[in-house]
Amino acid sequence: MTFARGVGQFYPVESPLHALDPRAKVVATALFVVGLFFVDSAAGFLAAGAVTAALVAASRVPLGAFLGLLRPVLFIVALTFVFQVLFLREGPTLLAWGFIEVHEEGLRLGLVLAARILILVTAAGLLTATTAPVALADGMEDLLSPLKRLRFPAHEVAMMMTIALRFIPTLGEEAEKISRAQAARGADFEGGGLLKRARALVPLLIPLTVGAFRRADELAEAMESRGYRGGVGRVRYRELRFRARDAAALLLTALAVGVAALL
Amino acid sequence: MRIELQGVRHVYAPGTSFAVEALKGVSLSVEPGEVLGVIGGTGSGKSTLVQHLNLLLVPTAGRVLVDGKDALSLDRSELRRRVGLVFQSPEQALFAPTVEEDVAFAPQRLGLGEEEVRERVGETLELLGAGHLAARSPFALSGGEKRRVAIAGVLAMGPEVLVLDEPTAGLDPHARSDLIYLVGRLKASGMTVVFVSHDLDEVAEVADGVCVLEGGEVRSIGHPAEVFYGDPSMAPATVRVAAALGVSRPSLGTPVRYGETLAALRRVLGAAP
Repeated sequence: MTFARGVGQFYPVESPLHALDPRAKVVATALFVVGLFFVDSAAGFLAAGAVTAALVAASRVPLGAFLGLLRPVLFIVALTFVFQVLFLREGPTLLAWGFIEVHEEGLRLGLVLAARILILVTAAGLLTATTAPVALADGMEDLLSPLKRLRFPAHEVAMMMTIALRFIPTLGEEAEKISRAQAARGADFEGGGLLKRARALVPLLIPLTVGAFRRADELAEAMESRGYRGGVGRVRYRELRFRARDAAALLLTALAVGVAALL
Repeated sequence: MRIELQGVRHVYAPGTSFAVEALKGVSLSVEPGEVLGVIGGTGSGKSTLVQHLNLLLVPTAGRVLVDGKDALSLDRSELRRRVGLVFQSPEQALFAPTVEEDVAFAPQRLGLGEEEVRERVGETLELLGAGHLAARSPFALSGGEKRRVAIAGVLAMGPEVLVLDEPTAGLDPHARSDLIYLVGRLKASGMTVVFVSHDLDEVAEVADGVCVLEGGEVRSIGHPAEVFYGDPSMAPATVRVAAALGVSRPSLGTPVRYGETLAALRRVLGAAP
């Protein structure tokens, strides 16, 4: 359960964002992320931040999910900020204390990078939180399908993505089950040094690997027995439909990020 | 050793919207030397219950007593050695290159000497009729063989109580009756066995006591005849037949096991022995 509810996971509620076409969301997120690299003014970041905050509110995903997403990133943000502030020595000096010198350009760049990373991660989290993994894979497949002419296996890649995502919780459960079975035989996964701990994992990893192969075999057989033979001529149960609101969302994103970049 | 559960409750993922109360106050005792059959449908809490017997799961409320002492105060790894727990589909946890090495895992963890480990592994495999498999890879065995080897892996710890969670699930009839026979032999050797199953006929054959779980609560508990004749609709075929015939022939008594039932029927119906 805890495994399945990981950070950055799909959060199934109904919202205008959930209802959008996954292709629109993927492209909009990509646009937004690329656009962010052209934003370099305080006003621009305020605008981009405000748009992101508005989208988070519109998504109806609890704020806690995003805070959970940002927690591991905060360390990187803090590190980047500190490095920029301490080591970039351009522009007028704002503060000099012993060997520490804070220059205006360093502070500015530190803030820019911090804002950029935070907004970027939130935007990416917004995509995965509001798009079901299967829909996401379908959208990716569609977006990659022009590459099929170059013999890029778009369908297969999307299918692998879907299956991998689907089996994360299953493997988690199995790992838990096996570790309990080995604990009942006296296995100890916690004590000891690094080497001892790595060796203690052997009774867990081998059955897990064997199980994963067995599952893969079974899944392949189940898929074939239901007539699966790759992406050629395959239709979908849920057709993706690109509606006016998807176009509008794309347009608005492009507009927002364009304005933010110009500000 | 005697294990007693007093009002054990267990909630998975407490405090979240995914909280599930799997046990809602279960009280029962496992007496030394008896075979306790635990029956119940899917989701009745059987598997959660058995994991409390060696504290792989800790009760949310209630107490687990071992020989009258609170199990939480005992050494956890010592408790797990004394109460051997065989999970559902235990063959999934096989990992070593050979059967011998796999079975040796638990005794090695106990810190026994090489000689003693080898001896124990040999004895345990022999007890389970798997001695001839010692040098084979556990991944190349049949389903029934794998199951027996996996059970050997737990038995090799020398537990006082053996807990078997659905030990016959997915086995063919032959491997099934082998396992039932094994439980009988373990009992004869003085071991306490907790046998979890949803196959009533199986439980009826081996159990000295039966506990019926339903929705995380004990629905009935006691001697097999009491439990099964109390509600013949949820009883093994032997009891259903005897209960139906017993309406007009009270002298049939309350047989539970196949052999007993057959003998009672012969007696009452006057068939040739």
